[in-house]
Amino acid sequence: MLSFAEIVETKELLQTVVFAFVAGVGVTVIFSVAIWGVARFVDLSQEDRPVAATAAAAIAALALLAVMAAVVVGVIVMTSK
Amino acid sequence: MSSDVILVIVVGAALAFDFTNGFHDTANVVATSISTGAARPQVAIAVASLLNFAGAFISISVAATVANEVVDAAVITPTIVFAGLIGAIAWNLVTWYFGLPSSSSHALIGGVVGSAVAASGFQVVIAEGLVGKVLIPAIVAPLLAFVAAGISIGLAYRVIGKQRPGIVSRGFKYGQVLSGGMLALAHGTNDAQKTMGVITLALIANGSLGAGSDPPIWVIASSAAAIALGTYSGGWRIIKTTGTRIIKMDAAQGFTSQGAGSAVILASTHFGFPLSTTHVINGGVMGAGAAKRLSAVRWGVAGNIIVAWVLTLPAAAAIGAATYGVTSIFGSGAVGPVVVTVAALAGIGAAFVRRAQRGAPVPVQSG
Repeated sequence: MLSFAEIVETKELLQTVVFAFVAGVGVTVIFSVAIWGVARFVDLSQEDRPVAATAAAAIAALALLAVMAAVVVGVIVMTSK
Repeated sequence: MSSDVILVIVVGAALAFDFTNGFHDTANVVATSISTGAARPQVAIAVASLLNFAGAFISISVAATVANEVVDAAVITPTIVFAGLIGAIAWNLVTWYFGLPSSSSHALIGGVVGSAVAASGFQVVIAEGLVGKVLIPAIVAPLLAFVAAGISIGLAYRVIGKQRPGIVSRGFKYGQVLSGGMLALAHGTNDAQKTMGVITLALIANGSLGAGSDPPIWVIASSAAAIALGTYSGGWRIIKTTGTRIIKMDAAQGFTSQGAGSAVILASTHFGFPLSTTHVINGGVMGAGAAKRLSAVRWGVAGNIIVAWVLTLPAAAAIGAATYGVTSIFGSGAVGPVVVTVAALAGIGAAFVRRAQRGAPVPVQSG
Protein backbone atom coordinates (compact mmCIF):
# COMPACT_ATOMS: atom_id res chain seq x y z
CA MET A 1 0.00 0.00 0.00
CA LEU A 2 1.54 3.28 -1.07
CA SER A 3 1.46 6.23 1.34
CA PHE A 4 0.16 9.65 0.34
CA ALA A 5 3.70 11.05 0.36
CA GLU A 6 4.86 8.34 -2.04
CA ILE A 7 1.99 8.96 -4.45
CA VAL A 8 2.05 12.75 -4.51
CA GLU A 9 5.11 14.44 -5.95
CA THR A 10 5.16 16.96 -3.12
CA LYS A 11 8.29 18.82 -4.17
CA GLU A 12 7.14 19.36 -7.76
CA LEU A 13 3.64 20.28 -6.64
CA LEU A 14 4.95 22.83 -4.13
CA GLN A 15 7.29 24.32 -6.72
CA THR A 16 4.37 24.60 -9.14
CA VAL A 17 2.26 26.37 -6.51
CA VAL A 18 5.03 28.80 -5.53
CA PHE A 19 6.09 29.60 -9.11
CA ALA A 20 2.53 30.03 -10.36
CA PHE A 21 1.51 32.18 -7.40
CA VAL A 22 4.57 34.46 -7.54
CA ALA A 23 4.40 34.80 -11.34
CA GLY A 24 0.62 35.26 -11.51
CA VAL A 25 0.40 37.82 -8.71
CA GLY A 26 3.74 39.48 -9.45
CA VAL A 27 3.12 40.14 -13.12
CA THR A 28 -0.33 41.59 -12.43
CA VAL A 29 0.96 43.91 -9.71
CA ILE A 30 3.91 45.10 -11.80
CA PHE A 31 1.64 45.66 -14.81
CA SER A 32 -0.71 47.64 -12.56
CA VAL A 33 2.25 49.79 -11.55
CA ALA A 34 2.92 50.41 -15.26
CA ILE A 35 -0.67 51.54 -15.81
CA TRP A 36 -0.48 53.72 -12.69
CA GLY A 37 2.70 55.29 -14.10
CA VAL A 38 1.06 56.05 -17.44
CA ALA A 39 -2.03 57.53 -15.77
CA ARG A 40 0.09 59.69 -13.47
CA PHE A 41 2.26 60.78 -16.43
CA VAL A 42 -0.84 62.03 -18.27
CA ASP A 43 -2.16 63.85 -15.20
CA LEU A 44 1.17 65.40 -14.21
CA SER A 45 1.87 66.49 -17.79
CA GLN A 46 -1.46 68.31 -17.88
CA GLU A 47 -0.63 69.92 -14.52
CA ASP A 48 2.62 71.17 -16.10
CA ARG A 49 4.92 69.25 -13.72
CA PRO A 50 7.52 67.85 -16.13
CA VAL A 51 9.94 66.36 -13.57
CA ALA A 52 7.27 64.40 -11.76
CA ALA A 53 5.72 63.38 -15.10
CA THR A 54 9.08 62.09 -16.30
CA ALA A 55 9.52 60.10 -13.10
CA ALA A 56 6.06 58.54 -13.55
CA ALA A 57 6.89 57.69 -17.17
CA ALA A 58 10.17 56.10 -16.07
CA ILE A 59 8.35 53.96 -13.48
CA ALA A 60 5.86 52.88 -16.16
CA ALA A 61 8.65 51.99 -18.59
CA LEU A 62 10.58 50.01 -15.97
CA ALA A 63 7.45 48.14 -14.93
CA LEU A 64 6.65 47.25 -18.54
CA LEU A 65 10.21 46.00 -19.06
CA ALA A 66 9.92 43.91 -15.91
CA VAL A 67 6.66 42.36 -17.18
CA MET A 68 8.24 41.52 -20.53
CA ALA A 69 11.29 40.04 -18.78
CA ALA A 70 9.06 37.92 -16.54
CA VAL A 71 7.20 36.55 -19.57
CA VAL A 72 10.43 35.70 -21.42
CA VAL A 73 11.96 34.05 -18.33
CA GLY A 74 8.75 32.07 -17.81
CA VAL A 75 8.81 30.68 -21.34
CA ILE A 76 12.54 29.89 -21.13
CA VAL A 77 12.13 28.07 -17.81
CA MET A 78 9.27 26.04 -19.21
CA THR A 79 11.14 25.04 -22.35
CA SER A 80 14.34 24.19 -20.49
CA LYS A 81 13.12 20.77 -19.33
CA MET B 1 -2.73 -5.89 -40.90
CA SER B 2 -5.74 -5.75 -38.55
CA SER B 3 -3.71 -3.97 -35.86
CA ASP B 4 -2.51 -1.42 -38.43
CA VAL B 5 -6.12 -0.67 -39.40
CA ILE B 6 -6.98 -0.15 -35.72
CA LEU B 7 -3.91 2.07 -35.33
CA VAL B 8 -5.02 4.25 -38.24
CA ILE B 9 -8.48 4.54 -36.69
CA VAL B 10 -6.94 5.39 -33.31
CA VAL B 11 -4.75 8.13 -34.80
CA GLY B 12 -7.79 9.51 -36.66
CA ALA B 13 -9.90 9.41 -33.48
CA ALA B 14 -7.10 11.02 -31.45
CA LEU B 15 -6.77 13.87 -33.94
CA ALA B 16 -10.58 14.23 -33.97
CA PHE B 17 -10.44 14.44 -30.17
CA ASP B 18 -7.69 17.06 -30.45
CA PHE B 19 -9.89 19.04 -32.82
CA THR B 20 -12.82 18.90 -30.37
CA ASN B 21 -10.38 19.83 -27.60
CA GLY B 22 -9.43 22.97 -29.50
CA PHE B 23 -13.04 23.62 -30.43
CA HIS B 24 -14.21 23.08 -26.84
CA ASP B 25 -11.40 24.20 -24.55
CA THR B 26 -9.68 26.97 -26.39
CA ALA B 27 -12.87 28.96 -26.42
CA ASN B 28 -12.11 29.45 -22.73
CA VAL B 29 -8.75 30.91 -23.61
CA VAL B 30 -10.18 33.72 -25.74
CA ALA B 31 -13.45 34.25 -23.86
CA THR B 32 -12.13 36.82 -21.41
CA SER B 33 -10.37 38.86 -24.13
CA ILE B 34 -13.53 38.92 -26.22
CA SER B 35 -15.94 39.69 -23.39
CA THR B 36 -13.92 42.68 -22.13
CA GLY B 37 -13.53 44.02 -25.67
CA ALA B 38 -9.74 43.63 -25.60
CA ALA B 39 -9.78 41.84 -28.95
CA ARG B 40 -12.20 41.29 -31.80
CA PRO B 41 -13.51 37.71 -31.81
CA GLN B 42 -12.05 36.63 -35.14
CA VAL B 43 -8.65 38.19 -34.36
CA ALA B 44 -8.54 36.66 -30.87
CA ILE B 45 -9.41 33.21 -32.20
CA ALA B 46 -6.92 33.41 -35.10
CA VAL B 47 -4.09 34.47 -32.78
CA ALA B 48 -5.05 31.80 -30.24
CA SER B 49 -4.94 29.18 -33.01
CA LEU B 50 -1.44 30.20 -34.06
CA LEU B 51 -0.16 30.30 -30.48
CA ASN B 52 -1.73 26.91 -29.71
CA PHE B 53 0.11 25.53 -32.72
CA ALA B 54 3.38 27.05 -31.53
CA GLY B 55 2.82 25.96 -27.92
CA ALA B 56 2.44 22.34 -28.92
CA PHE B 57 6.11 22.24 -29.95
CA ILE B 58 7.48 23.69 -26.72
CA SER B 59 7.46 20.71 -24.36
CA ILE B 60 6.70 16.97 -24.21
CA SER B 61 6.61 16.46 -20.43
CA VAL B 62 2.82 16.13 -20.31
CA ALA B 63 2.78 13.76 -23.31
CA ALA B 64 5.25 11.52 -21.48
CA THR B 65 3.01 11.49 -18.40
CA VAL B 66 -0.10 10.52 -20.40
CA ALA B 67 1.77 7.86 -22.39
CA ASN B 68 3.64 6.21 -19.53
CA GLU B 69 2.38 7.19 -16.07
CA VAL B 70 -1.43 6.78 -15.97
CA VAL B 71 -2.03 3.23 -17.19
CA ASP B 72 0.38 0.33 -17.67
CA ALA B 73 1.48 0.71 -21.31
CA ALA B 74 2.55 -2.94 -21.41
CA VAL B 75 -1.04 -4.24 -21.33
CA ILE B 76 -2.66 -1.49 -23.40
CA THR B 77 -3.87 -2.33 -26.91
CA PRO B 78 -4.83 0.10 -29.68
CA THR B 79 -8.48 -0.96 -29.19
CA ILE B 80 -8.34 0.14 -25.53
CA VAL B 81 -6.94 3.52 -26.59
CA PHE B 82 -9.65 3.78 -29.26
CA ALA B 83 -12.44 3.08 -26.73
CA GLY B 84 -10.97 5.65 -24.35
CA LEU B 85 -10.90 8.26 -27.11
CA ILE B 86 -14.54 7.59 -27.96
CA GLY B 87 -15.41 8.11 -24.28
CA ALA B 88 -13.57 11.43 -24.27
CA ILE B 89 -15.02 12.67 -27.56
CA ALA B 90 -18.57 11.70 -26.53
CA TRP B 91 -18.27 13.54 -23.21
CA ASN B 92 -16.72 16.57 -24.91
CA LEU B 93 -19.62 16.76 -27.36
CA VAL B 94 -22.26 16.35 -24.64
CA THR B 95 -20.78 19.16 -22.53
CA TRP B 96 -20.24 21.33 -25.61
CA TYR B 97 -23.91 20.80 -26.56
CA PHE B 98 -25.01 22.11 -23.16
CA GLY B 99 -22.41 24.90 -23.13
CA LEU B 100 -20.52 23.58 -20.11
CA PRO B 101 -16.77 24.22 -19.94
CA SER B 102 -15.74 20.77 -18.70
CA SER B 103 -12.24 19.33 -18.98
CA SER B 104 -11.18 17.64 -22.22
CA SER B 105 -8.04 16.47 -20.44
CA HIS B 106 -9.90 14.67 -17.71
CA ALA B 107 -12.30 13.28 -20.31
CA LEU B 108 -9.35 11.82 -22.20
CA ILE B 109 -7.67 10.37 -19.13
CA GLY B 110 -11.01 9.12 -17.77
CA GLY B 111 -11.86 7.49 -21.09
CA VAL B 112 -8.54 5.68 -21.36
CA VAL B 113 -8.61 4.56 -17.71
CA GLY B 114 -12.21 3.33 -18.07
CA SER B 115 -11.54 1.29 -21.20
CA ALA B 116 -8.29 -0.08 -19.77
CA VAL B 117 -10.06 -1.19 -16.58
CA ALA B 118 -12.86 -2.78 -18.63
CA ALA B 119 -10.23 -4.70 -20.62
CA SER B 120 -7.73 -5.74 -17.95
CA GLY B 121 -9.07 -4.86 -14.49
CA PHE B 122 -8.02 -2.23 -11.96
CA GLN B 123 -4.43 -3.49 -11.73
CA VAL B 124 -3.71 -1.76 -15.06
CA VAL B 125 -4.10 1.67 -13.45
CA ILE B 126 -0.88 3.26 -12.15
CA ALA B 127 -2.19 4.75 -8.91
CA GLU B 128 0.81 7.02 -8.31
CA GLY B 129 0.46 8.55 -11.76
CA LEU B 130 -3.32 8.89 -11.73
CA VAL B 131 -3.51 10.34 -8.22
CA GLY B 132 -0.20 12.20 -8.04
CA LYS B 133 -0.06 13.57 -11.57
CA VAL B 134 -3.74 13.97 -12.43
CA LEU B 135 -6.19 14.00 -9.49
CA ILE B 136 -4.23 16.08 -6.95
CA PRO B 137 -3.19 18.72 -9.55
CA ALA B 138 -6.82 18.70 -10.75
CA ILE B 139 -7.90 19.92 -7.31
CA VAL B 140 -4.93 22.20 -6.62
CA ALA B 141 -4.70 23.98 -10.00
CA PRO B 142 -8.11 25.69 -10.17
CA LEU B 143 -7.92 26.62 -6.47
CA LEU B 144 -4.48 28.09 -7.07
CA ALA B 145 -5.75 30.07 -10.06
CA PHE B 146 -8.76 31.21 -7.97
CA VAL B 147 -6.56 32.45 -5.10
CA ALA B 148 -3.87 33.97 -7.34
CA ALA B 149 -6.42 35.82 -9.47
CA GLY B 150 -8.31 36.99 -6.37
CA ILE B 151 -5.21 38.37 -4.65
CA SER B 152 -3.94 39.83 -7.95
CA ILE B 153 -7.09 41.78 -8.67
CA GLY B 154 -7.23 43.05 -5.07
CA LEU B 155 -3.66 44.33 -5.29
CA ALA B 156 -4.21 45.71 -8.81
CA TYR B 157 -7.22 47.79 -7.70
CA ARG B 158 -5.17 49.04 -4.74
CA VAL B 159 -2.23 50.06 -6.97
CA ILE B 160 -4.45 51.70 -9.57
CA GLY B 161 -6.37 53.60 -6.88
CA LYS B 162 -8.45 56.40 -8.34
CA GLN B 163 -6.67 56.86 -11.63
CA ARG B 164 -8.71 57.73 -14.72
CA PRO B 165 -10.94 54.77 -15.60
CA GLY B 166 -10.42 55.28 -19.33
CA ILE B 167 -6.63 54.97 -19.14
CA VAL B 168 -6.83 52.06 -16.69
CA SER B 169 -9.30 50.17 -18.86
CA ARG B 170 -7.31 50.76 -22.05
CA GLY B 171 -4.10 49.72 -20.28
CA PHE B 172 -5.51 46.43 -19.11
CA LYS B 173 -7.04 45.78 -22.53
CA TYR B 174 -3.58 46.17 -24.08
CA GLY B 175 -2.28 43.91 -21.31
CA GLN B 176 -4.85 41.30 -22.27
CA VAL B 177 -3.21 41.00 -25.69
CA LEU B 178 -0.15 39.72 -23.81
CA SER B 179 -1.95 37.69 -21.14
CA GLY B 180 -4.35 36.19 -23.69
CA GLY B 181 -1.41 35.24 -25.90
CA MET B 182 0.38 33.62 -23.00
CA LEU B 183 -2.75 31.70 -22.07
CA ALA B 184 -3.13 30.41 -25.65
CA LEU B 185 0.53 29.38 -25.72
CA ALA B 186 0.17 27.65 -22.36
CA HIS B 187 -2.96 25.89 -23.58
CA GLY B 188 -1.11 24.56 -26.62
CA THR B 189 1.74 23.27 -24.48
CA ASN B 190 -0.49 21.38 -22.06
CA ASP B 191 -3.51 20.29 -24.09
CA ALA B 192 -1.99 19.31 -27.44
CA GLN B 193 0.43 17.12 -25.53
CA LYS B 194 -2.36 14.94 -24.21
CA THR B 195 -3.24 13.87 -27.74
CA MET B 196 0.43 13.31 -28.47
CA GLY B 197 0.59 11.13 -25.36
CA VAL B 198 -2.40 9.04 -26.41
CA ILE B 199 -1.13 8.52 -29.97
CA THR B 200 2.27 7.60 -28.55
CA LEU B 201 0.56 5.14 -26.19
CA ALA B 202 -1.21 3.55 -29.18
CA LEU B 203 2.06 3.37 -31.13
CA ILE B 204 3.75 1.67 -28.16
CA ALA B 205 0.80 -0.73 -27.81
CA ASN B 206 1.04 -1.58 -31.51
CA GLY B 207 4.76 -2.25 -31.24
CA SER B 208 5.59 0.66 -33.54
CA LEU B 209 7.52 2.39 -30.73
CA GLY B 210 9.48 1.06 -27.77
CA ALA B 211 8.17 1.42 -24.20
CA GLY B 212 8.91 4.85 -22.72
CA SER B 213 9.42 6.47 -26.12
CA ASP B 214 8.83 10.17 -26.73
CA PRO B 215 6.28 11.21 -29.39
CA PRO B 216 7.70 11.27 -32.95
CA ILE B 217 7.75 14.62 -34.75
CA TRP B 218 4.83 13.71 -37.05
CA VAL B 219 2.71 13.10 -33.94
CA ILE B 220 3.69 16.48 -32.50
CA ALA B 221 3.02 18.32 -35.78
CA SER B 222 -0.33 16.65 -36.47
CA SER B 223 -1.52 17.20 -32.89
CA ALA B 224 -0.50 20.86 -33.09
CA ALA B 225 -2.36 21.28 -36.38
CA ALA B 226 -5.52 19.54 -35.11
CA ILE B 227 -5.82 21.64 -31.96
CA ALA B 228 -5.10 24.83 -33.92
CA LEU B 229 -7.81 23.99 -36.47
CA GLY B 230 -10.25 23.18 -33.67
CA THR B 231 -9.46 26.47 -32.01
CA TYR B 232 -10.05 28.38 -35.22
CA SER B 233 -13.43 26.70 -35.66
CA GLY B 234 -14.41 28.20 -32.31
CA GLY B 235 -16.77 27.19 -29.55
CA TRP B 236 -19.10 30.13 -29.20
CA ARG B 237 -21.41 28.64 -26.59
CA ILE B 238 -18.59 28.19 -24.12
CA ILE B 239 -17.11 31.59 -24.94
CA LYS B 240 -20.46 33.01 -23.85
CA THR B 241 -20.57 30.97 -20.62
CA THR B 242 -17.02 31.79 -19.55
CA GLY B 243 -16.96 35.34 -20.84
CA THR B 244 -20.26 36.67 -19.54
CA ARG B 245 -22.25 34.16 -17.53
CA ILE B 246 -19.86 33.49 -14.63
CA ILE B 247 -19.14 37.17 -13.95
CA LYS B 248 -19.52 40.38 -15.89
CA MET B 249 -15.85 41.24 -15.95
CA ASP B 250 -13.83 44.38 -16.57
CA ALA B 251 -10.48 44.48 -18.38
CA ALA B 252 -8.48 44.30 -15.13
CA GLN B 253 -10.30 41.14 -14.10
CA GLY B 254 -9.76 39.68 -17.58
CA PHE B 255 -6.04 40.42 -17.36
CA THR B 256 -5.62 38.97 -13.87
CA SER B 257 -7.60 35.80 -14.61
CA GLN B 258 -5.57 35.20 -17.78
CA GLY B 259 -2.29 36.03 -16.02
CA ALA B 260 -2.98 33.70 -13.11
CA GLY B 261 -4.22 30.98 -15.47
CA SER B 262 -1.11 31.23 -17.68
CA ALA B 263 1.22 31.04 -14.69
CA VAL B 264 -0.52 27.95 -13.29
CA ILE B 265 -0.63 26.12 -16.64
CA LEU B 266 2.97 26.92 -17.60
CA ALA B 267 4.30 25.87 -14.19
CA SER B 268 2.28 22.65 -14.30
CA THR B 269 3.41 21.86 -17.84
CA HIS B 270 7.02 22.25 -16.74
CA PHE B 271 6.55 19.45 -14.20
CA GLY B 272 4.47 17.26 -16.54
CA PHE B 273 1.09 17.66 -14.80
CA PRO B 274 -1.67 17.11 -17.41
CA LEU B 275 -4.14 19.49 -15.80
CA SER B 276 -7.34 20.96 -17.13
CA THR B 277 -6.83 24.35 -18.73
CA THR B 278 -10.60 24.78 -18.54
CA HIS B 279 -10.62 24.36 -14.78
CA VAL B 280 -7.73 26.76 -14.39
CA ILE B 281 -9.12 29.60 -16.46
CA ASN B 282 -12.57 29.26 -14.90
CA GLY B 283 -10.95 29.19 -11.45
CA GLY B 284 -9.15 32.40 -12.35
CA VAL B 285 -12.34 34.03 -13.63
CA MET B 286 -14.23 33.10 -10.46
CA GLY B 287 -11.36 34.33 -8.26
CA ALA B 288 -11.19 37.67 -10.06
CA GLY B 289 -14.94 38.07 -9.65
CA ALA B 290 -15.20 36.89 -6.06
CA ALA B 291 -12.39 39.19 -4.88
CA LYS B 292 -14.27 42.24 -6.12
CA ARG B 293 -17.62 41.16 -4.72
CA LEU B 294 -18.72 37.64 -3.78
CA SER B 295 -22.14 38.24 -5.28
CA ALA B 296 -20.50 39.26 -8.58
CA VAL B 297 -20.00 35.57 -9.32
CA ARG B 298 -23.12 33.82 -10.57
CA TRP B 299 -22.68 30.89 -8.26
CA GLY B 300 -25.50 28.96 -9.91
CA VAL B 301 -23.56 28.93 -13.19
CA ALA B 302 -20.32 28.19 -11.33
CA GLY B 303 -22.09 25.30 -9.57
CA ASN B 304 -23.21 23.81 -12.90
CA ILE B 305 -19.65 24.01 -14.17
CA ILE B 306 -18.28 22.35 -11.02
CA VAL B 307 -20.82 19.52 -11.35
CA ALA B 308 -19.63 18.97 -14.95
CA TRP B 309 -16.02 18.93 -13.71
CA VAL B 310 -16.75 16.32 -11.04
CA LEU B 311 -18.70 14.16 -13.48
CA THR B 312 -16.11 14.29 -16.27
CA LEU B 313 -13.67 11.58 -15.12
CA PRO B 314 -16.29 8.97 -14.14
CA ALA B 315 -18.60 9.75 -17.08
CA ALA B 316 -15.85 9.53 -19.68
CA ALA B 317 -14.54 6.39 -17.95
CA ALA B 318 -18.00 4.80 -18.11
CA ILE B 319 -18.41 5.65 -21.81
CA GLY B 320 -14.88 4.37 -22.52
CA ALA B 321 -15.60 1.12 -20.68
CA ALA B 322 -18.94 0.68 -22.48
CA THR B 323 -17.27 1.37 -25.83
CA TYR B 324 -14.62 -1.24 -25.11
CA GLY B 325 -17.40 -3.68 -24.24
CA VAL B 326 -19.12 -3.04 -27.57
CA THR B 327 -15.91 -3.36 -29.61
CA SER B 328 -15.02 -6.63 -27.86
CA ILE B 329 -18.33 -8.15 -29.01
CA PHE B 330 -16.84 -8.14 -32.50
CA GLY B 331 -13.61 -9.84 -31.37
CA SER B 332 -10.11 -8.39 -31.17
CA GLY B 333 -9.85 -7.35 -34.84
CA ALA B 334 -10.65 -4.10 -36.59
CA VAL B 335 -14.38 -4.81 -37.02
CA GLY B 336 -15.36 -3.48 -33.57
CA PRO B 337 -13.57 -0.12 -33.89
CA VAL B 338 -14.90 0.28 -37.47
CA VAL B 339 -18.50 -0.39 -36.35
CA VAL B 340 -18.18 2.00 -33.38
CA THR B 341 -16.60 4.69 -35.58
CA VAL B 342 -19.42 4.47 -38.13
CA ALA B 343 -22.05 4.53 -35.35
CA ALA B 344 -20.34 7.47 -33.64
CA LEU B 345 -20.13 9.47 -36.88
CA ALA B 346 -23.80 8.76 -37.58
CA GLY B 347 -24.75 9.83 -34.05
CA ILE B 348 -22.74 13.05 -34.26
CA GLY B 349 -24.24 13.85 -37.67
CA ALA B 350 -27.76 13.27 -36.34
CA ALA B 351 -27.10 15.51 -33.32
CA PHE B 352 -25.85 18.34 -35.54
CA VAL B 353 -28.86 18.03 -37.87
CA ARG B 354 -31.24 17.96 -34.89
CA ARG B 355 -29.60 21.02 -33.38
CA ALA B 356 -29.70 22.86 -36.70
CA GLN B 357 -33.41 22.10 -37.04
CA ARG B 358 -34.41 22.98 -33.47
CA GLY B 359 -31.95 25.79 -32.68
CA ALA B 360 -29.55 25.99 -29.77
CA PRO B 361 -30.76 25.03 -26.29
CA VAL B 362 -30.25 27.42 -23.37
CA PRO B 363 -26.71 26.46 -22.25
CA VAL B 364 -26.90 26.89 -18.45
CA GLN B 365 -29.23 28.52 -15.98
CA SER B 366 -27.82 31.68 -14.49
CA GLY B 367 -28.63 32.95 -11.06
